[in-house]
Amino acid sequence: MNKQPYYITARELAGLGRDQIPPELISNTHLIYSSPATLSFNSPGAQGFGVKRAGLAIPGSVMLLVAPGCCGRNTTILSELGGYSDRFFYLNMDENDIVTGKHLRSIPQAVVEVCQALPQKPTVVMICITCVDALLGTDMERVCRKASEAAGLPVLPCYMYALTREGRKPPMVAVRQAIYSLLEPLTKRPDTVNLLGHFAPLNDDCELYDLLHQFGLKQINEISRCRSLQEYKNMAQANFNLILHPEVRLAAEEMETRLHIPSIELTRMYQLDKIKNQYHILARTLGTTVQDGAYYEQARQAVETFTKAYGQVKVAIGGMLNANSFELALALTRYGLTVREIYGNLAAEDFVYIRKLAQLSPETRIYTNLSPTMLYYDCSDSDIDLTLGKDAEYYHPGSVNVPFNEERQPFGYEGVRLLFTQLQEALDQAASGRKQNHIYGSASAFAAKAAAESNNTVKTSQDPQNQEEGSDTKIVHNLEGRNQA
Amino acid sequence: MKGLWLHLSPFAPDQSGASAVLYGLGGIIVICDAGGCAGNICGFDEPRWFTQKSAIFSAGLRDMDAILGRDDKLIEKLALASGQVEASFAAIIGTPVPAVIGTDYKALKRMAEHKLHLPILTVDTNGTRHYDEGAAKAYLELFAELTETNSTKAKNSAADTELTAKTDQPAATKPTAAEHQAANQARNLTSPAGPVGVLGATPLDMSSLDAAERLQKVLQAAGYQEVYVYGMDGKLASIRKAGQTSKNIVAAPSGLKAAQYLQAKFGTPYEFNYPLAGEDLTQALTAQGLTLNPAWQKILIVHQQVAAHSLRRIIRQKLPAAQVQTATWFLLPEELREEGDLHLTEEDQFSELVRKGHYDCIIGDSLLQRAVPFYQGAFLNLPHFAVSGKM
Repeated sequence: MNKQPYYITARELAGLGRDQIPPELISNTHLIYSSPATLSFNSPGAQGFGVKRAGLAIPGSVMLLVAPGCCGRNTTILSELGGYSDRFFYLNMDENDIVTGKHLRSIPQAVVEVCQALPQKPTVVMICITCVDALLGTDMERVCRKASEAAGLPVLPCYMYALTREGRKPPMVAVRQAIYSLLEPLTKRPDTVNLLGHFAPLNDDCELYDLLHQFGLKQINEISRCRSLQEYKNMAQANFNLILHPEVRLAAEEMETRLHIPSIELTRMYQLDKIKNQYHILARTLGTTVQDGAYYEQARQAVETFTKAYGQVKVAIGGMLNANSFELALALTRYGLTVREIYGNLAAEDFVYIRKLAQLSPETRIYTNLSPTMLYYDCSDSDIDLTLGKDAEYYHPGSVNVPFNEERQPFGYEGVRLLFTQLQEALDQAASGRKQNHIYGSASAFAAKAAAESNNTVKTSQDPQNQEEGSDTKIVHNLEGRNQA
Repeated sequence: MKGLWLHLSPFAPDQSGASAVLYGLGGIIVICDAGGCAGNICGFDEPRWFTQKSAIFSAGLRDMDAILGRDDKLIEKLALASGQVEASFAAIIGTPVPAVIGTDYKALKRMAEHKLHLPILTVDTNGTRHYDEGAAKAYLELFAELTETNSTKAKNSAADTELTAKTDQPAATKPTAAEHQAANQARNLTSPAGPVGVLGATPLDMSSLDAAERLQKVLQAAGYQEVYVYGMDGKLASIRKAGQTSKNIVAAPSGLKAAQYLQAKFGTPYEFNYPLAGEDLTQALTAQGLTLNPAWQKILIVHQQVAAHSLRRIIRQKLPAAQVQTATWFLLPEELREEGDLHLTEEDQFSELVRKGHYDCIIGDSLLQRAVPFYQGAFLNLPHFAVSGKM
C-alpha cells in the first residue's frame, strides 16, 4: 500500500485520450471519497443550488419533499438561507411506504394541507422525490395531476434522483427542465431573450447584457430575476434562448419543441481570445456585429496587472467554483501562471482543454476529488501559493484561497476581470498580513511578487498554438427567420 | 396528517447515527447510497468531517446497480479501496436504496469477508428511522465483531453462542427498572474499580466535539482512572477492551442495546447517566442570561431521554416544587420513563402537547420553537445536534 493520492499529469492524460480515461477518474468504478467537492458533485441536494433550492426558482413556489427523513435532513440549513424557511415542507416516508408506495396516496391531501397552512396561496407546489421513488418507478406526473386537482393550483414533479447521476437526465438536468415546464406558449417578441442555466443572475456589470442590447434585444429574462409568476410566464415570449450552462440543454430542447423557442449555447470561459471569438460568432449568427473592445480591454488590463504583480505564483485549482477547472487551468497557464495541480471531475468534453494544457504545462497534475486515495493527499511538500475553489483550500488549508463560487454568476470578460481582481485582492491582503508579521517565505507568492515586479510580461492569447480550439458558440437551433432582433 | 411536517425539518437519520459511532475508528465506512446520503452525513450530520479526515465513502450506486442488485460490484469497489486505504475494519451502512431493493446484508458481509480478509460490519439502516436506532445497531456490530472475547471479564460463555448483534433485540432479556436498580446496588457501582465505558456518546447526542474529553474529565474527577468513550474517543483499542470494563455508563439511549449486550456477554453492569447534564444546563442558562426560576411550576424537557432524565433530576433538586415532564422524539427506555413522559412521533403531536401543557419553561433545541410559535413561556435552548445540526 503506497498511501499516495492518485494523479495523472496533463501530458499523460492527453496521451491516453478521451477514449482511455483511467478508471480512477471515472466515478462508477470505485468508491467515492467524501471531499467537499464530492458533496457538491455527487450529492444533488447538498450544496448551494442543489435540487432543493433550484426547484424553488419559480417565483412564489413552495416544495413538498416526499422522501425518507434522511433526504430532507440537510434542508435545515437551506431553510435558514434567506427566504427559504417557509418554503420547504416534508412528507416523511416510513418503511411501509418504501415497500408499498402507500405514501403516494397521501400526497394530494398533503399538498392541500401545505396550502392551507400558508398565509398566501403558493403559485406552484413542487413535489421533490428521491431515490426511493426512482426505484419504485413512481409515475409522479400522475400523482402531481391528482394533487393539482385537489389543491387547485399547479403541482410539478422535481426529481432528486442521485442514482441517475451519470444517466441521460441527472438531477440537475431534470430540475432545470422542471422549472421551465410551467411555461405556456405565448406570442413571440423579437426583442426578448432568455438566459438559461443558472439559478442566480449574472453579475449586474456583466457585459453580456450590454452586448445583447447592442443586438437590439431589449428584454433579457432570467428566472432568478423574475419577481412574479407573470414575469416568469413571460419568458415564453422569448425570441430565442441563450444556454449558459450545459445542464440546461435538455430543458432548452423541450422549450424548442413545446414553445418553439430556439437556442444558442455560449460557454463560460476565461481565455480572453476565446470569449472574443464566441461573442463575434454570436453576433454573426444574429446577423449583426458586436462592439466589445472596451470590455476586452478592461479584462486584459486586470490580467496584466495581476500577472505583473504575481506572475510567478503557483496555483492549484479545485472543482468547486464558477468555472470549468480545466478551462480555467488552461487560461491561467496561457496568461503565464504556473498551474501545479487541478482537483477535478473529468468529463470527455474536457479533453479539448487537456490537450492544450498538455502542450503548455505537461506536468500539471490532475487529481480526482472522487478517489479514495485522496485521503492521503498531503500538502506539506507543496509549493502552492494560491488556491482557487473551496475544495482546493481543503487540500491546502494554509494557502491564500479565492473560492470564486458566489451565487451571482460571472461570465465573459466581466468574469475574467472579477477573477483577477479577486486574486489580486487576496494576494495583496495576504502579502500585507505577512509583511506585518515579517514572515516572508522564499517560495511564497509574495517573494515571487518581488521578482515579478522587475521582469514580467503577460502571456496573452495571441499564441498561434491556441487558435484552433473549440468551445465557441456550440448549438444553433433553427434560428433562421428569428434573428430579426 | 401522519408524516407531514410543516415547521420542523427531519432529524438526523439512522445512517448518520451508525456513521457517527464508527467515524474516526480507522475503518473504511461505506455509505451504501448513490451519493446524497453520504453528502448529508459528511456535510451536515458529522461535524468531525470538517476537521478530521476519515475513510468515509459513498458506494456511488447508480440506477442499474440497484435494479440489477450488483452486490458483487460493491464488493469489488470495497476490495479496491481496501488495497488503497489502510483500515482495521470495513463497514457497510444501509440507506433507502438497499432497503427498497431488499439488500441481503448477511450475504454482503460474507462476500466482503471472503474478499477483504478484514472484519466486516454491516448496519441495516434505511433512512426512515432516527439516528439513535442506527447508532444502536452500529454499536452492537462493533462490539460483536471487534471486542476481544478472551478477556478475564468474559463470564458468560453461553452468551457467546446465543447472542448475536445482528438481531434488533439483544438476546438478553430487558431488565425492569427495579431489577436494574437492584443489580446495580448489588455490584456497588458507587465505588469505581477498573475502567469505565461510556456508551451513546456521539456528536449527534453530545452536541460538542470535545465531549469525549469532557466526559473523561468528569468521570475521572468521580474517581475512575480509565474512561473509554466508545467511538468518540477515536480509539479502536477501547472497543477491543470493552469486555474488561467494570461498568458501562449509558449516556444516550442509543447505547442501551450495546450495554445490554455487553452485560449479557461479559457480565458488565451498566447504568443510565448523562454526566454532562449539569455542565450543559449551566452553559445553557448562562448563554441566555437565565437562572432556574422558582416560579416555574411546569417544565418540559425535550431531548434524548438519558439527558432529559438526568436534567430532570438536577432540576428537581433545585426546584423541588416543579413538575418536570420529558418528551422525546427518539428512543425512550422504559427504565427512564415516568408517568406523563411522552414519546413523540409527529410534529402536530408536539404542538398539541405544548398547547395543552401550559408549561412555564421548555428546555430543548431552539429549532423546536418553530413548531410552537404560539408558546409564550420561557424557552431554554439546549442544543441537540441531531435535531438542528447546531452545537
